[in-house]
This record gives sequence, C-alpha cells and structure tokens, in this order.
Amino acid sequence: MRRRVVMTGMGAVTPVGHSVAETFAALLEGTSGVDRITHFDARTFPTTFAAEVKNFDLAKFVPDASRFKKCGSNTRFALAAAQMALADADFRGVDRGRVGVYLGAGEGSEDFDTVISGIGMATTDGRAVDHGAFARAAVAMLDGEREAELEMNTSAGHLAEEFELLGPNYTCLTACAASAQALGEAAAMIRHGDADAMLAGGAHSMIHPFGVTGFNLLTALSTHNADPKKASRPFDLTRTGFVLGEGAGMIVLEEYEHARKRGATIYAELTGYGTTGDAYRMTDPHPAARGAGKCMAAAIADAGIRPDQIGYVNAHGTSTQANDESETAGIKMALGAAAYTTPVSSIKSMLGHLIAAGGVVELMVAVLAMRQGVVPPTINYETPDPACDLDYVPNFARQVAGIRHVLSNSFGFGGQNIALVASKMASG
Amino acid sequence: MVFTGLGVLSPVGSDPAAFYAALLDGVSGVRPIAAFAVPTLPCRLAGEVQGYDGKKFLPAGNRDARKGLNKMARTVQFGFTTAVKAWEDAGGPLKGQIDPFRFGVEYGCVMVATETEDLAAGAKATTTGRPHSVDYAAWGTTGLGLVPPQWMLKYLPNMPACHASIYADAQGPNNTITAGDAASLLALGEAFRIVQRDLADAFLVGGCDSRINPVSYSRHTTFQELTRRNDLGDAAVQPFGLNRSGTVLGEGAAVFVAEELTAAQKRGARIDGELVGFASGFDRGLTGTVLASVLRSALNEAKIAPADVDHVNANAGGFARLDAWEAKAIRAVFGGGIDVFAPKAQLGATGAASGLLELAASVLALKHGTLPGTRNAAEVDPAFGIRVATEPRPVAKPFAVKINATPMGQCAAAVVRRWDS
Repeated sequence: MRRRVVMTGMGAVTPVGHSVAETFAALLEGTSGVDRITHFDARTFPTTFAAEVKNFDLAKFVPDASRFKKCGSNTRFALAAAQMALADADFRGVDRGRVGVYLGAGEGSEDFDTVISGIGMATTDGRAVDHGAFARAAVAMLDGEREAELEMNTSAGHLAEEFELLGPNYTCLTACAASAQALGEAAAMIRHGDADAMLAGGAHSMIHPFGVTGFNLLTALSTHNADPKKASRPFDLTRTGFVLGEGAGMIVLEEYEHARKRGATIYAELTGYGTTGDAYRMTDPHPAARGAGKCMAAAIADAGIRPDQIGYVNAHGTSTQANDESETAGIKMALGAAAYTTPVSSIKSMLGHLIAAGGVVELMVAVLAMRQGVVPPTINYETPDPACDLDYVPNFARQVAGIRHVLSNSFGFGGQNIALVASKMASG
Repeated sequence: MVFTGLGVLSPVGSDPAAFYAALLDGVSGVRPIAAFAVPTLPCRLAGEVQGYDGKKFLPAGNRDARKGLNKMARTVQFGFTTAVKAWEDAGGPLKGQIDPFRFGVEYGCVMVATETEDLAAGAKATTTGRPHSVDYAAWGTTGLGLVPPQWMLKYLPNMPACHASIYADAQGPNNTITAGDAASLLALGEAFRIVQRDLADAFLVGGCDSRINPVSYSRHTTFQELTRRNDLGDAAVQPFGLNRSGTVLGEGAAVFVAEELTAAQKRGARIDGELVGFASGFDRGLTGTVLASVLRSALNEAKIAPADVDHVNANAGGFARLDAWEAKAIRAVFGGGIDVFAPKAQLGATGAASGLLELAASVLALKHGTLPGTRNAAEVDPAFGIRVATEPRPVAKPFAVKINATPMGQCAAAVVRRWDS
C-alpha cells in the first residue's frame, strides 16, 4: 500500500483575491480580474490588458517586507501564499527537516529598460551589436541584487529560508504546466519517503514588457482591447487567445498518517497524477490530444477510479483556438461517454493565465468546488463552438452535489501535459 | 537505473572520450573570453566551448533537425545536440524497443538570455542613448514588431527537453528543473524516482547552460562570485584553495541515456554505470548540517558506508563560503581520508549543466579505472581537513558521490556505482 498524500493547507494571491477564500468567492460570482495593464505603459502594445494582482502589500504577510524589495513579484506573491498555506495547515511544531519545497516558478522581474537601452547604445545600424559596448553599458546600469533575484530558484530558496523548510528544494519550469507538475512530483516525493510534507505550488508574473512582447509576437494573446473583461472566453467560438495573469498558489501536501496524528484539517487527498510529453511541436498541442488524453487517463488510473467517477473537470482552457479544441478531444478520450455529462469549466476566463502558477490555483479551486458542492463558471461563454461540445458551466456557478473526485489539467508550451486528480477523503 | 549512453559538450572536449582524456591530462578549459570583447569587465576568463557548430553534431541527412537549430538559442542547441549524441551513443534508435509513453525526458536548464541581435532593430527604434530609457509607446507601435516572431521560443528553459522529446519520440514524463547550479543533478534524481515508481523504462537526462553571451555575462557579472585574478589564467579557479578568489563561468552540456536495469539488459545495452542513491535538501544558512544529512541519506539508499566510496566529486569552484561549507560536510561524513575531486578547476562553473557534466567525469573514471587529479589544488585550505588529490590515480573502490549546490542552499547528492556485469 503506497503512502497517501493529503492537502492540509492552501494559500493564494490572484487577480481576484489575496487569499483562497476571496479568490473562490469572486470566481463563484463570475468576477473577472482582467483590466488595463498598469505595471508598465502598454497603451500602444497589441494587447493593452491583463489580469494583474491589485493592491498587493507583502507587509501584511511577512515581518519586515522591505527585505524582499529586490525580489521579483513572483517571489513576493509566493511568500504571501506560502505564509497563508502554512498558517492554514497550522504547521507549528512540525519537524522542518522533513518538509521541502517544490515550485513551478518563473523568472523575477526583468529589467527591460536596461537591456533595451543598453542594446540601443551598442548598435548603429539596428542589426549588428557591439557586444563589448553593450556589456560595458549594461554592467554599469544593472542592479546586481535584482539580477540575482531573476534566477528561477530564488523563489523556492526564499520560502525555505523564511519558513525554515529544509527538505528537497526543487523548482521546475515547464511553462504553463509547471505548478501542476510540481504538485505531482512533490506528492511522489512524500510517497517515496523523501519528505513527510511539501510546500508545493507556483508563482509567476509575465506581465512585463518582454512577456507581453513575446506572447504578442506568437499571436497567442487576445488583442480584444475594446472590452478586456470579455477577452478571455475559453471554449467560445469567438475566442481569440489567452489573457496574461499573475499570482501564486501554495498547497501543503502531507503524508496522511503524519497529518492524522497531528489532527490536521484535510481538504482532500491527492490521488492521481498523470504526466506525458507531446513530442510533437514547440507550441501546438497534438491535434488529436495524443499526450493530453493519455495523461488524463493516467491520472484517473493512478487514482484507482473509473473515468465516470470524475465529478468536475477544471480545464486548462486557455481561450486559444488550438488548446480548447484539443483539450476537449482529450477529455472525451479520457472520460469516454461521461465527458458529456461531467461539468468542465475554465477559471482562466476570470483569472487569465497565471502561466507557471496556473495549475496550483486551478487545483485548489477544484478542491473547494468539491468540498462546497458548487462549481465555478466559464464566463464569456456566448457562442458555442461545434468542436467544443461539452458542458462548460457557462457564465454562472452551479450547485453540483456529491462530487467525490475532481480532475485538473495543465498543458505547457513545449508539450508537457499534467493532470491531477483530487478526491474526498474516504475517512478522516 | 543504469547509464547506457552519454553525450558531452564541454570546454575541454566535445565527446566523452575527448572530455575524459582532457581531464586526465590536466587540460584546462579556462581561458580569456573569445566570444566577445570584454576589456572593461572585472572577470575576463571563462570556460568556453569554442568553435561550437550545432550542425556538426546532427546527422547529415536530418534536415529537419538542422533547420530546427535556427529556433534555438545557444543553450538550447547545446542541450539538443548533446541529446542527439547521447542517443547515438546508446546504440541509436531505441524507437520500437521502448514504449514512447514510458520514455521520459528530464533536464536541468535555467534562464536563457536573449541574443542582443534579436532586439537590436527594436532597441534602435525606441532608444536615444540615455540609460534606462525606452520609449514604450514607440516599442508598442514599432519596436515590438521588429523582433523575430518566434523570439520567445528560442529562450524558454523547457525547450531543450521539448526538442529532445520530439527527436527521440519520448512521450513520457517531461520536466525541466531550474534550480540553478543544482538543476541537472536534481533532474537526475527526479528521473531516478520516476523509474523507481515504474512510470518509465528510459530517460534522456540532461543539463545545459551557456551564459557566455553579452546579456547573460553582464547580468552574472553583477552578482556571481567571479574571480578578478585574470592574471592567473588557467590557474584562476582553485577549488577549496587557501587563496581561492572566486570562479569563472563555464558553458556546456551533458546528457545521459538512463534506463531501468532489466529493460537495458533485455535490449543488450552497453552499461556504463549505475545510479544507486540520491537525496536532496536545503541547507539554510549554509551550516553544513543539511548537506551532511543529504550525503548520509544518499549513502543509505545505496546501502553503503562512507568507506566504500572511491571519491567525492565536489561542487567546489573557488567560492569563499560555499567551498568551506561543502568541505565541512564532506569531512563530517567521510572524515579527512577520502579523495576529493573538483572538476570546476578545469571546466569553470557550468551552471545548470554542471551536475551532469561533472558527474560524467566520475562515471567515466569508474568505468575506465583512473580518477583524474584536481587542477590548481596544490594549496588547499588546511583548515578544511580534506584531501584533494592533484594527480590521477587508479580507482580503488566501486562507488563515487557527486555533490551539487547553489549559493542559496539547494543541494543534492548522487551515488554512482561502477558497472561490474
């Protein structure tokens, strides 16, 4: 019998709330977190909007927040989410030597101004760049402390330092699948005995000039500037791309006996994890959802349940043409006939795409939907797409009683597919 | 889990045989930077892979793969072409012999910096020579459109694993660990665990890094512990040295084909070594306590005692605090009698590649029977109480331990065993 892994604490900072409870309540109301970009002047960019975290103040979460002023916003969000998750799990008295960290996390806040102005100084024709001149200019302008914080392992490192977590300390970046993958691998570490508990999740913000530039060039972002709150419309026929979001989510995963002995509140058991690679193309998902369907089926099998026992699917649902169509095909492949009777929704319609942090926030929302018997909607769903013919819980939250298992999908640019299954505890 | 194929790209050699021979001969890859002009930078040395041409590593007939190099930054090319070499070294196409869904990919890879040329036209159109000043309105209307459309995809850290998976049709678990200098050893550990839980029969496990380009080098100059002793040239990196003064950036890649033992035996694979233990942790405040416990856990999993280990392959690279921390933990676990080997003296700090590139040295040493000496280690800090062997010597015992770590405290240890059929 393998060790069981349960969820005993959750914390989140999202575009619609600075806690899990605020976030979930806003999602049930169908609240969109999307608005004009304020982090930089994006007024002339092809996309002028995103789902930003608003009025965030780290000082409410950690003592002496000024210590983290050179950190990227990813790390600052991560610290707040971790503080809430560990407080929620009531981790006082737990042996921190057996607790690790596993994040799907991105880069810190990139110094666009320095890189671009430095290159500008080092080119005369706009093609060739004098590398020595660039280096001279850049080194004079760059802030070393901030550059150190750009490195992707720093968020997980700060969490370990701040909360004294001395177990395995991993960071992965498989684009949009990262924090779901972090949860799956962190649970596997607990099962193997590498740790008794893991703080797992993700943190990311790509709402910076390089991020918007890169995604705009790939034509992956919606450019529906006239009405930003309507821009993210997963599974709708008129969808035109995804909307960038930002934030962090953290879940305390814990070995079941460890949690039970200390009387912890258990949200759910993490029962299933599927992981595959498309091995197809850099960004396009496999059109028949070869890898995505296989990964959902693997997660369901790992949970030891039948596909028709899944009561709710929290979709990756990015609002891109390719994802939503292939994900629909994958859900049908994995769930069979039950696909048509299982509610499927995408909260990216409200949160935008938190990239590396997306999967963890989506899993915790799925778990709360199961616990509270109410499923968040896919907002902006107005025109059905014949290729996307499942029940996407359009526009209004729905009471769904008796959900015992939920499935949450995350797929990354690069072909990484992750599916997680969480289940109500049979006992405890 | 056993190693059945290896690709290596390093400052001292671009295949396993050349790499191992150079290490044995005490060749250093640490040289004045050739890639670009750096007269005003404090550290002007690096471990470069000079003259790299990705096409030369790919089969002449595979036009798709060669064309694909245009979509890859140098780091990504390193990771991809080295995977191709590892794949060939493992006996070519495992296709048909492995269920693609049980064939995984794990990489260590970190921030990949943009090439300045990709942004040059946009920068020229939106800047006026003033520091930190970019005309955002002009960037949005004009500058952005002057950047190559697939710019972002050249630089995502999960792209080496993506391209390797496409090439090898590896449709199993696919992850990229971004934990700095510990990244690729952590990736190896994760692949090991996935094989142990019977979700994969084979893996491409790799690490790749190149920070010797203008943006990356400038960034790292501002926060890495780099030596200013340019006058020392190839003697500049002194692991555990009494007079250590920092490290130099290196670049490279290593990719192992790693297989579950019975699967490898079933297909009659050549076996180069075995991974028998792994552990990782976070040594908060660099006290040495956690690293020592990580080392003990890895030895426990391997079911061996410290006395069974031939040598410790260290992370040390001339770092003031990190080398001292590591020495303390090595001494606590192994005592002062074990030979310590520190390849960064010859390679520089190869970042996300370092874990597996340095591990390759130990796997090759166990396989071929001679451990290289550590260069620039004539004056080890006597306070450390450890022994750094400066001359090559015969391998005496079947196990080696590899340590990797970040300055923040992420640390990992792997135990490998010589393969005795």
